[in-house]
Amino acid sequence: MFLNQFKHELWKLFGKKRTYIGFGAFLLAQNVIILMFRFSNATGGMRRALEGGGYPVTEFLTSITIATQVVIPIAYLLLPLYGALIGGDLVAKEAEDGTLRMILSRPISRLRLLTLKWLAGALFSIVLSLSLGLFGWAFASLWFPQGGLFATQLGEGPGFTLFTPGDGLRHYLLAHVVLCSKAITVMGMAFVFSCFNMKPAAATVLALSFLFANFVLMNIPWFQEYRTWFITHHLNAWQWVFLQPIPWSRMTESLSLLLGFNVTFFVIGATAFQVRDIKS
Amino acid sequence: MIRIDGIHKAFAGRPAVRHLDLEVQRGEIFGLLGHNGAGKSTTIGMLLGQVWPDGGTLRIGGHDVFADRARALSRVGAIFEAPVFYDYLSGWRNLQILSAYTAPTADARIREVVDWVGLTGREQSLVRTYSHGMRARLALAQALLPRPELLILDEPTNGLDPEGIHEMRHTILRLHRELGLTILLSSHLLVEVEQLCSRIAVMHRGEKVFDGTVSEARSGTLWVRLGTDDFAAATATLTAAGLIAGHDRESRVELAPNTTPAELARHLVQHGHALHELTPERQTLEGFYLSLVRSRATAPAVAAASSES
Repeated sequence: MFLNQFKHELWKLFGKKRTYIGFGAFLLAQNVIILMFRFSNATGGMRRALEGGGYPVTEFLTSITIATQVVIPIAYLLLPLYGALIGGDLVAKEAEDGTLRMILSRPISRLRLLTLKWLAGALFSIVLSLSLGLFGWAFASLWFPQGGLFATQLGEGPGFTLFTPGDGLRHYLLAHVVLCSKAITVMGMAFVFSCFNMKPAAATVLALSFLFANFVLMNIPWFQEYRTWFITHHLNAWQWVFLQPIPWSRMTESLSLLLGFNVTFFVIGATAFQVRDIKS
Repeated sequence: MIRIDGIHKAFAGRPAVRHLDLEVQRGEIFGLLGHNGAGKSTTIGMLLGQVWPDGGTLRIGGHDVFADRARALSRVGAIFEAPVFYDYLSGWRNLQILSAYTAPTADARIREVVDWVGLTGREQSLVRTYSHGMRARLALAQALLPRPELLILDEPTNGLDPEGIHEMRHTILRLHRELGLTILLSSHLLVEVEQLCSRIAVMHRGEKVFDGTVSEARSGTLWVRLGTDDFAAATATLTAAGLIAGHDRESRVELAPNTTPAELARHLVQHGHALHELTPERQTLEGFYLSLVRSRATAPAVAAASSES
């Protein structure tokens, strides 16, 4: 019965046109960025870094390198935006439209309904993150050759890491698996607000504001010592996959904290939803 | 079937329902009457476990709505005013989705209900292409899917055209007759309630001000249509004699208790009024409702005035 209800929850989510419009926007953004790398001098920095280190440019200026570069703006901007949009819609949109009242005239418990919705949102986030990785690599392959991976050490200093073709692909895929945690957490954050009595747009804006405030505070130089206190620091765990060696303990710690955040978000949302009155 | 004991609810300190007791017997069509804001929808919201009462208990089929929600609502169908669906999905998919929240439902059952409500041939169309009438049928279909024993209808004819309203009334009677459902109908359309319900409760400002059969409501005061040369002078004469309890601004007077229309005619003629029409009018539910509500309308003003002084 739970699986049947979950299947229908997915129908509601994936049946919307705007779901695919969002996907389309992502794919368009990926292609624009890839074309910029192909037809402008945007790869100049990478070339100089490789040549300066005595590495063959043709072996590392590849589709997987460009796909990795494409992930950065997507993961920082579009993914949180879209995750928050989906999370903000999950409950608040149904309340706004009036379908929530129809659902809650049935014997399903509120907790079960929220669990179904959260799981649907989480699955959507996973599909989104993984498909972004696959499409990004596929599109980059149209313009760049296959080969090794040149990865900048985002947020870790000016250095870079080089991977052999097979190793590079494994790190690229693992980064997207870890990126799912970011997408789920942002979705879950908007989901909490969505459980309160507010418009879907308000839930989305609140979640994005919370993220933005964390991001700004985390990047203030005086707060460097306290970086780990901010959720945005842990949301960037996917980038550490490109470090050599991967800092597993730090990553495990961050993923555990994100799990804790998600559980907390869900409990807050469920409590708010449980006590609220659902009116027309 | 439904038993409500002493429920009350306030929103931000403003009472919406005040200590309401109500009982709906199995197999009856019960009307919940009241103006917009009288507390009907809040009562239905509490009955469906959507609105938390501040106090009191609600039971459906003997099961507490809040303590045993699954059992209480397992055989309940509900339709709300202006029913909304997932417009981007087909009617069939909507029925699958909504029925899954009660229990797994076989396609054969969905087919049976679609045929019953007359949506056959359009069930695979997107709901956004449906007319108001078709949406109303879809709403009815989703309510019937769990084979309900109780149907709760909250302003079901709102937004329908006259033909749709007629059809909905006919369907409600059919549901009662053919499926033997208990129906709780909330409405502010008095004609609708009068035509469909056997018992009613009238709510006003969150309070129940009447609970009884429709015939009890009609058997109250009698109104008489008077045709005189000077209606104002005639009513003044009748009021002074204590023969009428009130009158409207046009031509109708409300008889005082134990007064007959014949006494009225005699008194008017004896006092020199030209009388060319005297038509007793059967008490309508509308007349009963309006006199009930108007008599209550002054109460808060009096209370407010006394509290200010």
